[in-house]
Amino acid sequence: MFKILKQVQDYAQESWQAAKYIGQGLSVTFDHMQRRPVTVQYPYEKLVPSERYRGRIHYEFDKCIACEVCVRVCPINLPVVDWEFDKKAKKKKLNHYSIDFGVCIFCGNCVEYCPTNCLSMTEEYELASYDRHELNYDSVALGRLPYKVTQDPMVTPLKEFAYLPKGEVEPHGLAKGAQRAGKRPEDILQEIEAAKPKEEAKAE
Amino acid sequence: MNLAEGVQIVSFGILGVMMIGTALGVVLLPKIVHSAFLLAGVFISISGLYILLNADFVAAAQILVYVGAVNVLILFAIMLVNKQEDYAKLPGRLIRKVATAVVCFGLFALLGTMVLVTPWSLDSTSPAVVENTVIALGEHFFSDYLLPFELASVLLLMAMVGAIILARRDLIPESLATVDTISTSLTLPERPRELATLSSDNEPQN
Amino acid sequence: MNSGIDLQGSFVQTLQDFGLSIGLAKAIWLPLPMLLMIIGATVGVLVVVWLERKISAAAQQRIGPEYAGPLGVLQPVADGIKLVFKEDVIPAKADPWLFTMGPVLVVVPVFLSYLIVPFGQNLVVTDLNVGIFLWISLSSIAPIGLLMAGYASNNKYSLLGGLRAAAQSISYEIPLALSVLAIVMMSNSLSTVDIVQQQSGYGILGWNIWRQPVGFLIFWIAALAECERLPFDLPEAEEELVAGYQTEYAGMKFALFYLGSYVNLVLSALVFAVLYLGGWEFFIPLDHLAGWIGVPETTPWLQVLTASLGIIMTLVKAYFLVFIAVLLRWTVPRVRIDQLLDLGWKFLLPVSLANLLITAALKLSFPIAFGG
Repeated sequence: MFKILKQVQDYAQESWQAAKYIGQGLSVTFDHMQRRPVTVQYPYEKLVPSERYRGRIHYEFDKCIACEVCVRVCPINLPVVDWEFDKKAKKKKLNHYSIDFGVCIFCGNCVEYCPTNCLSMTEEYELASYDRHELNYDSVALGRLPYKVTQDPMVTPLKEFAYLPKGEVEPHGLAKGAQRAGKRPEDILQEIEAAKPKEEAKAE
Repeated sequence: MNLAEGVQIVSFGILGVMMIGTALGVVLLPKIVHSAFLLAGVFISISGLYILLNADFVAAAQILVYVGAVNVLILFAIMLVNKQEDYAKLPGRLIRKVATAVVCFGLFALLGTMVLVTPWSLDSTSPAVVENTVIALGEHFFSDYLLPFELASVLLLMAMVGAIILARRDLIPESLATVDTISTSLTLPERPRELATLSSDNEPQN
Repeated sequence: MNSGIDLQGSFVQTLQDFGLSIGLAKAIWLPLPMLLMIIGATVGVLVVVWLERKISAAAQQRIGPEYAGPLGVLQPVADGIKLVFKEDVIPAKADPWLFTMGPVLVVVPVFLSYLIVPFGQNLVVTDLNVGIFLWISLSSIAPIGLLMAGYASNNKYSLLGGLRAAAQSISYEIPLALSVLAIVMMSNSLSTVDIVQQQSGYGILGWNIWRQPVGFLIFWIAALAECERLPFDLPEAEEELVAGYQTEYAGMKFALFYLGSYVNLVLSALVFAVLYLGGWEFFIPLDHLAGWIGVPETTPWLQVLTASLGIIMTLVKAYFLVFIAVLLRWTVPRVRIDQLLDLGWKFLLPVSLANLLITAALKLSFPIAFGG
């Protein structure tokens, strides 16, 4: 008899608790309705890519010495370096260079190891095309510089969350010269340079 | 003939054709699922006829009970039991068919004579006069039709108790669980394993 | 009792004054409320789709539809037009007849149920004796359509979705009907107009929600399950069943399912408003207020005012409930199928039976408060 009563009591308690939790959840959802949207309205607004963003690779034909280091460090030997030995000049003559971005994983090894710095990472990420063969960029396509988000008149550039000033969560309507929290690379460099003479003095 | 009568006659014609057509479809179509869906059509047209007879509550109840419950159950049964059975030649097929025909024609004759014999003239207490059909129905249920009403409810109670006992497998005696080979023919191919584990789970408790 | 505005009477009278016969005048009147109801229901769906997308977006800190019309209000229209012009695909091995009939059987009963939704004393298509019972019985046709769609698609996900939908629909119909029965018992009538009248007179204090605190919860849960709204959207659980019974549907047939589900949501909210929130009644009893000020009930401007206020109040209540449904959608996770059936049969059914018994007992012991 009392066992059944206890069961009923437990059941009622559980139901009440479930109702309470649903109510709490509802209040959380309701609270979120008053917050500002965090989304970026993509074609009209774009985030500014960070400094170390690894986008489409940029390539300077004239700097390249056809050493094929990029091919060797590439995980899948992707760059195609088409050269022939020019006997007169006793030098490699580069005919053609291409990277297929449909296969590239943007690891950045080629950029890292390039002895002449002719490869570099850009901040371009809009590589969509109707045909995957269009993603095979030749030396001319690789040499094009991407549009900067900040210079495109169609686009409102937005700062990423990590680049917002301290306490700010909203990239819209920032003050003009607002800078991110913490030291910037230039500041750090300056500090290091300011500290250098002292260290030298100490060492002496 | 005014507007209401015209609408009534036209809808009676439509409903009658619909009912006979769907009923023939139920009997004649080769696919059992089509028959089951057409059965819903029969029920819906019957409920339309009830509406024409001013029996609104009965019409709604017809849809709720027959279309919403009975027909859905039939469909469930058809869709969940995927038992394939090849049609084998039955011995004495002709005799069976003749017997079926005799029974059917007998029933038809019986109903036909009943239709012809019954006086269909409306008396003053026709449904058209009844103000609120729900109240009239309730009064009939609890006065002159009390016994059939109570019998029907007892029958439904029995069916419900039976269903609950079937659903609660722990109430079925243990000996039944061992006869797995027979029960598999009525269940889905995936189910027997669970049955076996259930019965083994029950053993330590008892 | 003041009957308010009699639109049909005045319309027929006007046409008769133009020299038409009374039969013709009535024949001209007949399709008007039905047309109005269909258009109203469709526009209501457009509004609800827009609201749902906007509220969902707000709950997830997004913006939602933005560029089609001001604040994206034309987005549902654009979606609808897109669906109309989409190719109508019938899978090669599907059953074409059943495949076509399925969505029709789902949508038609829902639209028919709008017959009994009152927006005012005389602002209802038909004031039937069986009113609310018609809604319950019509909503029981939908599972047949769902089963038909699920079976005819010749797809395992569709079949599973259809079976789930039918099982869910028929098991939640019982607590729904029982909680409605408790209301009907208190108002002594199945007619929706009578149910609202019984709640009128005391403003917000007279609404059934105070007399049926358990009943309204059961009704709301069961109504959400009937509409396949999110805590109970198992029939189209995309993680498990792709899209359930809608998997093979495209174009207008899919649009019918989509329309049907949203019309059903609006309808459930409207019926909830009628049953528990006093239908077209304002928060304060307007009739009494007018009486105190000294304006007689039959004043034309007062009648027009109360009628339009009634429509607005009904819609406000219904859309408030839709808002709660959308909030619930983003709050509560989906239940499993066994949890769903457990909740329906082992919790809602006994609780609604107990609620019915308690209501009956209260009706006998306090006939003044519980409509003896």
